[in-house]
Amino acid sequence: MAVYKRSYRGYSGAYTPEWSRFLILTRYASRNLYRSKAITGFLIACWLPFVVTALLIYLNHNATILSMLKTSGGQLFSIDAKFFKNFLQIQLSAAFIVTAFIGPGLISPDLGNNALVLYFCRPFSRAEYVLGKLAVIAQLLSLLTWIPGLILFGIQASLVGWTWTIDNLFIASAIFLGSVILILVLSLLALALSAWVKWKPVAGALVLGVIFLGAGFGAAINGVMRTQLGHLLSIPIMFEKVLDSLFRLDQTNRIYSEFSPALAWLGLLGIAGACLYLLSRKLRAYEVVR
Amino acid sequence: MLTNLRLAQIYAVLRLELRKTFFSRRGLWVYLLAFSPILLFAGHSITMLHNGRPCDFGLDTNIFATVFQVFYLRLAVFFGCLGIFMNLFRGEVLDKSLHYYFLAPIRREVLLAGKFIAGLCVAMLTFCLSIILQFFSMYAHYDWAVIQDYLWRNNGIQHLFAYVAVTALACLGYGSVFLAAGILVRNPIIPAAVILVWEAANPLLPALLQKFSVIYYLKSLCPIEVAPQVPPPFNLLAVNPEPISAFIAVPGLFAVAALVVLWAGTRIRKMEISYSAE
Amino acid sequence: MPANDQIVFENVSKFYGEVLGVNRVNVSIPPGITSLVGPNGSGKTTIMNLMTGLLQPTRGRISVLGIAPNEPERLFREVGYCTQFDSFPKGLTGYEFVYSYLRVYGCRHQEAEDLAWRAIERVNLVEAAKRKIAGYSKGMRQRIKLAQSICHGPSVLILDEPLNGLDPLARAETIALFRALAQDGMHVIISSHILHEVDAISDQVILLSNGYVVAEGQIRGVRNEMQEHPMQILIRCNKPSEVASRIFAQEHVVEAQIHKDGLGLLVRTRDADKFYLMLNHIAMNGVGIESVAPADDDVNSLYEYLIGSDEASK
Repeated sequence: MAVYKRSYRGYSGAYTPEWSRFLILTRYASRNLYRSKAITGFLIACWLPFVVTALLIYLNHNATILSMLKTSGGQLFSIDAKFFKNFLQIQLSAAFIVTAFIGPGLISPDLGNNALVLYFCRPFSRAEYVLGKLAVIAQLLSLLTWIPGLILFGIQASLVGWTWTIDNLFIASAIFLGSVILILVLSLLALALSAWVKWKPVAGALVLGVIFLGAGFGAAINGVMRTQLGHLLSIPIMFEKVLDSLFRLDQTNRIYSEFSPALAWLGLLGIAGACLYLLSRKLRAYEVVR
Repeated sequence: MLTNLRLAQIYAVLRLELRKTFFSRRGLWVYLLAFSPILLFAGHSITMLHNGRPCDFGLDTNIFATVFQVFYLRLAVFFGCLGIFMNLFRGEVLDKSLHYYFLAPIRREVLLAGKFIAGLCVAMLTFCLSIILQFFSMYAHYDWAVIQDYLWRNNGIQHLFAYVAVTALACLGYGSVFLAAGILVRNPIIPAAVILVWEAANPLLPALLQKFSVIYYLKSLCPIEVAPQVPPPFNLLAVNPEPISAFIAVPGLFAVAALVVLWAGTRIRKMEISYSAE
Repeated sequence: MPANDQIVFENVSKFYGEVLGVNRVNVSIPPGITSLVGPNGSGKTTIMNLMTGLLQPTRGRISVLGIAPNEPERLFREVGYCTQFDSFPKGLTGYEFVYSYLRVYGCRHQEAEDLAWRAIERVNLVEAAKRKIAGYSKGMRQRIKLAQSICHGPSVLILDEPLNGLDPLARAETIALFRALAQDGMHVIISSHILHEVDAISDQVILLSNGYVVAEGQIRGVRNEMQEHPMQILIRCNKPSEVASRIFAQEHVVEAQIHKDGLGLLVRTRDADKFYLMLNHIAMNGVGIESVAPADDDVNSLYEYLIGSDEASK
């Protein structure tokens, strides 16, 4: 009798649900991330604008403070769509930094150390792999964007009352939807660039390069060709345009006023699509050398 | 005194670097980055020719100067040099192939010199050629008489020479800094990000601190002054300092580059090969 | 003053932060084939990297044929190092890899070309030389690395697990190459886990464990000094019981075990020389002795006794 027949038995226990297996990647990647004191410290520091903004909202409704400051009209400043959009804009800068420093470490090391073979030789698809890695950045960026944004909206709503809340419910949906777009595009960008190069530092440079060079080249196109289409290369401008449209803000006095919101939406979706294409090209269990 | 052997070794390192990186698909992105503005200016010229619209020569000259200072110097040359020079040592460490050089009978300082010269050759050749082509692409839709008039009677040649020289000096300045960063720091992106932010915030800094910047010296050598591109409300804080003389700026940049490379040379002697730490 | 035909480590230690690489290494390596033997993490690669200047010692001095490792211009004219790293500069063919680094050495084009082809021929890679290294098999990559380390005719050849990935034929050819090089007066320093091959080719051995040198010298000499482990000697003869009864009376004989087939016995003795003398007398008195051979006079046994016990006690 062959040796394996004597005592070898296949695993006959319970299996975890198939839909949740991508979370294994997320769990381990997140655990590694949070081990870094620098990253954890930076994430905590990114909540400072939230704390300051929450304080400002509170002060704006504190009768004692308002009477001390002898404000006319009953408030220090107006808390409206622009206020929340500005908060999200500040968090956007932190989100770019987080993406540039954390995104590259997600796929590049797997590529460089030939670990993709180990993933894909198991019942684990490329989509699950991308989903698992995406969830790492998504959770971090959620902590920076829509979570604090909605908490601030909640604080304002609790202080002002039901009428204001109903009238401004679009702000909450703008916070959430705007953040989701931001998270999706930035995550896919970071993953695609991380998959394209095997070196973590180069991937980080690439993320910074795409953001800054894109914005710079877009501005150059606008200047030379006397057009606004160059903004299609500028991710920060496209995000701002999308946020302005979601928060229903007047854009007539902006430098990109002639740049259509529809084009901004298309541009961001195009970037997401291009990133998905790059990922599908690069994430394979084999490499062809010619 | 450089012996024939050391010169031969520098040439061999130069040849190997060009073969491995710059004459291969890996170097393609540098060429795309450097030559993409040519497409932009050529597109502008083609559009003007097609539409038959008259163009303002002065406006075009200002736009060219703005694109050069704001995009080309600060971003294209910056990122191009970051990629080229960082790759020289840090790239070899990540590729786990640096030990082949360290196991050759070549002084590490000579190796450093060879790699630096290789990076400099590629960076200067690529970006300087690009700026020349950009210059002529920008004015291609004007009559030849107008172009000649600008070149020979209205300081056009001097402007072109200044653009080429500033580009070359930018490659030298950024190149030396990123070469040193690639040797000293495991993740050179962090110092690169710091330098990028520092250079971007340069107009907002006090006059003394502005001097600690490559862009500060290069701006002074540019033929046409461009206002600091700072968005409101920060533009209220922007300071446009007095331009510095070329007799200080050029030797100053050379001196800084030489000091940085010499310092990198002292550090490379102590460098150890420990790939598992990467 | 270190001898100019030796590789000398004088009280060398290397720490990676708080982690010990090697500690208080004092060895002198003469010409010939020397093997570094030890488990993973024992310090073999660290010693090789220290010898070649890829690492700097925390303490102590190293001299390779009278040259310090921090003089690469002189050192690497004499030293070739085939490392364990299975990585190569990107985009090069096998020929370009060997040729380009010969140009870095300072060779002119024709000289570099000749030396490159000669080295490639020596490792039987002529047909694949013009292909990119990225497309090579593991064994081919190992051979091209070997070619690059010997192409400039060094007098010291350091090889970190050079037989990795080689098929049996290639392995035999490579071992023959090492023997030929050693016979020409070269220092050949090899680290390997394949103990029977180390046994077959090495003139001397350095055993390492946990960063310490536990033994150094010729295999037989090291074995003789290990008094706490009696020598095992296998005797094939026609009267094993008689031989056993005679030898067992000797106080240096610890154990005598008759073989299952009844035609031999395994003896353990604390004094091999006395035992062989006694065996001569027995043979002269009518016992037919077919063969006498040490059963544990090899690297495998040394490894078991010196390093195996350390590992077991952890």
